[in-house]
Amino acid sequence: MITCDEFMAEFGDYLEGDVTGEVRQQLEGHLAHCRTCQVVYDSTRKTIKIVTDSGSFDLPEAAVKLSASKIMARIRNDLAS
Amino acid sequence: MLHWTPSELRLLGIPDRQLDQIAIDHHLAGLSTSEAGLLDFALKLAMNAPWLSREDIAGLRDKGFSDESILEAILVTGLAKLLCTLSTGLDPSPDFEPREIPHSSSPPAPDARSHGGDTSGPYLRAVELRPDSFPAFGYFMKRFGSIPNFFRAQTLRPDVIEAEAGLFRNVLQPDDILSHVQKECILLVVSAANLNTYCVAAHCEMLRVMGVSTEESDQIAVDHHQPDLSEQNKALLDFALRLAVQPSEFRSEDIDTLRRLHFTEEQILETVAVTALNNFINTVQMGLGTTPDVKPRHEFRPKEAHLFVAADRPTWSLQIDPDVELVSRVPDGDSDAFEELVTRHSRRVYRTLLGIVGNVEEAQDAMQDTFLKAFQHIGDFQRRSKFSTWLVSIATNRGLQCLRERRRLESLDDDGPDADEEFRPRQVRAWADDPEQLYSATERRRLVERGLMRLPAKYRVVLVLRDLEQFSTDEAAEALGLGILALKARLFRARLMLREKLSPHFASSANKMGL
Repeated sequence: MITCDEFMAEFGDYLEGDVTGEVRQQLEGHLAHCRTCQVVYDSTRKTIKIVTDSGSFDLPEAAVKLSASKIMARIRNDLAS
Repeated sequence: MLHWTPSELRLLGIPDRQLDQIAIDHHLAGLSTSEAGLLDFALKLAMNAPWLSREDIAGLRDKGFSDESILEAILVTGLAKLLCTLSTGLDPSPDFEPREIPHSSSPPAPDARSHGGDTSGPYLRAVELRPDSFPAFGYFMKRFGSIPNFFRAQTLRPDVIEAEAGLFRNVLQPDDILSHVQKECILLVVSAANLNTYCVAAHCEMLRVMGVSTEESDQIAVDHHQPDLSEQNKALLDFALRLAVQPSEFRSEDIDTLRRLHFTEEQILETVAVTALNNFINTVQMGLGTTPDVKPRHEFRPKEAHLFVAADRPTWSLQIDPDVELVSRVPDGDSDAFEELVTRHSRRVYRTLLGIVGNVEEAQDAMQDTFLKAFQHIGDFQRRSKFSTWLVSIATNRGLQCLRERRRLESLDDDGPDADEEFRPRQVRAWADDPEQLYSATERRRLVERGLMRLPAKYRVVLVLRDLEQFSTDEAAEALGLGILALKARLFRARLMLREKLSPHFASSANKMGL
């Protein structure tokens, strides 16, 4: 059975689906028995999903158009000069 | 091969009639069930490897074969593929009187629908060997930075791994006859034709280290006639493909074609040797069922396989840069094309900038600067990456410049003293089963933005690119000018840090109430 530290060392790659079958089995074996790592694993996965679905820092459609027109005005101005 | 020379079997005392019968149908050659089962396995591995699964290995174990014997069967089958490829490419005169190959020596074609076997490997038992005490592993550590799973799965035979390390040293490592990139391209193209997910991922990674973008490698694997390769190199890959997967179509004219294109005899010999070695590696890998060392961009499924002779190349969906056509029109002064690129990417650029500078007005100004710079320097865009990745790397640099101007010297390229810091999660309360239901979309967005803004910029930007923009690890690393490992480490830390910030808001209500 691996320790919590060993779990944390591989956890990043595990989240990315980047571990071998053997390591995956060890990690899942640990998760089955360790409540703390289970919570960290579950909440980290939920964190990623919440961030991805959040639409954070998004630019509203009207602002996209406005920005594009400002940018193109600067570029066309530069081209003309 | 057109002829076979069963001299060794004859020397072992097997009569001619039985030799013919083994070649025609080994089930009728008076072999024991386990001997016939072993030949079934070898034939399937040699001719229909994508259909191989854990069940085939279990079948051999049931017939009494140890893992050591099964490994040897896999290695001998790989060697048979290597020798067939070498003899096809070199066409040596026979050492023994040739015998016509009897009819019906091909194994039956598997039914694609019947495949449902467990292909998760590795299939065989392995033992631990350490790089500091096993020289071959020391060599692989030095060459690859880690021990590929392919070799870890063969540790029951350290002597074989040593021999394989010798082949790597003598055939793949020298750069003076064919170049490294030429050899890796041969390995990539032939592995793709053999539908070998593990080897395609490995060679894409090797090419990436040599400076070839993953997009370009993908394109070479799918159709090497499309990328910007010289006619010489295209012909070289045509030659290797035909030799490896269409040996019955291979002719001496194929060698003449390379000679006409000024390839030397040494280069042609090395091409044959690299191609043969590739067939050995592909075959052994399929027999071992090792999982990829790097995340594959493409998974090959047996249904995509072409039986026996892969006359057509497999195809799979590719991430081709959708902006290429527009980008090509900009240097000729087509500002409408650039306007379309601005519309397509302004959201992405803005999000990246806001993620770095954290201020709406500053992000909008920096967005204008980013596009202006991209327009002025579009001639420098090398197409080694996607246009969007190139654009985001300009935006990232501009965002950093803003931070420096504000004297907030947050570095994005320095791992800093916290690189080795041990990170231990402090918030260990369970989250709600469906935490997104706890808040409205607007509230969630505000919580995430506030959480992100409380992270140091170097962590924040990685999360913005990977989890908001959905950049691949390669793309994010390229946009930030980081190595893959550094990016992964930073991403992991950033996710854990944000988890800490969000935990008080998303913990299950029972915990919130202290129950």
